[in-house]
Amino acid sequence: MESKYSEISKNIQEEAKKLLSQGKVERIIGFGRGVFTGEITPIFVTEPERAEELLFTPECDMMLAKYLLDYKGSKTGIVAKPCDTRAITVYLAEELIKREDIFIIGINDCEGLEENDACEECGVRNPVVVDLEIGQPREEEIEVEIADELEDMSPEERFEYFQKEFSRCIRCYACREACFVCACDECFVDSNQPQWVGSSIGKRDNFTFHLMRAMHMAGRCINCGACEIACPEGINMRALTKHLYRAARDVFQFEPGLNPEEKTLFATYRLDDSEQGFLD
Amino acid sequence: MLKVIGKNELGKLLEKLNDKFRIIAPVIRQYGKKERVEYHQVEDFDEIFLDRQPDTPPKKFFLPQNERLGEEKSGEQVFETGDRKTLIFGVRSCDLKAIDILKPVFLDNDFTDTYFEKRLENTVMFGLGCSKRQENCFCDSLGIDPLDAENIPVYMYDDGERLWFDVRAGELEEFFADLPDGNSEELERLKKDWQSGFEDTKIGIEVPIPFPELVAFNAPFWKEVAANCLGCGVCTYYCPTCFCFGFFWEKREEEIDKWRTWDSCMFPLFTKHGSGHNPRETQDQRTRQRIMHKFSYHPHNFEGVPACSACGRCISQCPVNIDLRVILKTAEKHLKDEEGVKSGG
Repeated sequence: MESKYSEISKNIQEEAKKLLSQGKVERIIGFGRGVFTGEITPIFVTEPERAEELLFTPECDMMLAKYLLDYKGSKTGIVAKPCDTRAITVYLAEELIKREDIFIIGINDCEGLEENDACEECGVRNPVVVDLEIGQPREEEIEVEIADELEDMSPEERFEYFQKEFSRCIRCYACREACFVCACDECFVDSNQPQWVGSSIGKRDNFTFHLMRAMHMAGRCINCGACEIACPEGINMRALTKHLYRAARDVFQFEPGLNPEEKTLFATYRLDDSEQGFLD
Repeated sequence: MLKVIGKNELGKLLEKLNDKFRIIAPVIRQYGKKERVEYHQVEDFDEIFLDRQPDTPPKKFFLPQNERLGEEKSGEQVFETGDRKTLIFGVRSCDLKAIDILKPVFLDNDFTDTYFEKRLENTVMFGLGCSKRQENCFCDSLGIDPLDAENIPVYMYDDGERLWFDVRAGELEEFFADLPDGNSEELERLKKDWQSGFEDTKIGIEVPIPFPELVAFNAPFWKEVAANCLGCGVCTYYCPTCFCFGFFWEKREEEIDKWRTWDSCMFPLFTKHGSGHNPRETQDQRTRQRIMHKFSYHPHNFEGVPACSACGRCISQCPVNIDLRVILKTAEKHLKDEEGVKSGG
């Protein structure tokens, strides 16, 4: 197992070195290890000599796609898990980044990450868009289902459930920042004219924040689990977004981040669209 | 006086203290997959967990995240005072130091924050020495002693089996009088052992503190150290010394309540002007502010003491594992030969 990941890391380093020394990219966004912490941290490699700092292990649970938005208009390489490539696909479909600006070093046959429960519900084990593949692609499909805790709950039970979960929220916005979907120029939280939501950690403001954020997730969230891993308070962040993922899939036959050519769910309208609401 | 008891006898001591104090202590809470150690009010003393640094600092007992200050129109102020004083049990040197760091800010001669002051007056803390280095801490690099603290009524040591109490406040002696005496030489030997563990893992931090303000502000490394910063507020909300807050008002029938709530310099809204202009537009500017406040502005204003007690929580809790020690070492490379400009410079 370990040798598989050191092999992947070695491949990434070699390819990164080539790309940087040939001037094909200006930087590569990837994973490295902290000097003192020994923990995985996103790194930005611009010099070929530093390519050996790049690595990949099952601890690499951060989503890197969002950093691409910081480097629009300059050629950037990115080490991408299959979920990162889904995020990139959403960005491409929403025209937030240009395909020619990025170079995707995609990791084949992803076996999931150590700390991310969402991986157990993920059937996408090879990159969706890729320029250079690391490892052999997985051939056989995986049968998975996205669990939905909310399905069998009455509205009252859902209310109680979220009241309990969100009562721990300290409004640090780690979920929002870790989420690639949360890429608005100005988040509603950061608007003061008008102020959409108060900054207190009371029930009302916490609910407003989480529900308003969830409303932006339908048909865009890929259930990558970044929000849940980032949350320092261990809130079950995905309970709401998984429900929306299933709704987009079941009602509109739409799963985000699988096809960059496909229009986004919110950008399409069909006369025969179901009128069923997302929160039913 | 020096007292020592088996850890299983702690309950009896706390029963006695419970009559006089509301006891807050570290306990384990399971949230989803996360096992957390947090300070909570305890009734069941068997729940108390002292084996590692709590994930959250005791700051909220002095500066709650949400705090109703009073009624706006009448000017009435609200102070919650219980029937008993509060005892925060098992506070490590970093968190004790953090409260000391907050004192000159909130108890300034020109303006005293009465809410903070009353909470401070109403609270007693029992210190707890660290027998080993915690996850990401480096208090010894900033001159804090992980095995002692000043002005603390009781400082404790945990040798795994027993709890030692160095009781320094006369008014608390009555609670400890019946307990067996500790052998101070034995404790010294234990402390020496623990101390050597710290020396073996110490990181030398040689950046001048305070950072020379202008040179540091204009230094080229901020973009580099903040490149992977997501811009969330975890580092500031878990920090034992970050104290920034905002106000909000809430209508309650005819009354208008004034509240304050934590705010974070890591958020763009923190500095956004009414005009729409934001003087700190980018995340590296906001990260610079967080670090400069701690290592330049605060020590310039308050006798050279940085607003960081090196507990390491900002490192442990950061979703992308940004390391304050790396930032300090990077600053050191750039600022080592610069002189820390003394107060007023």
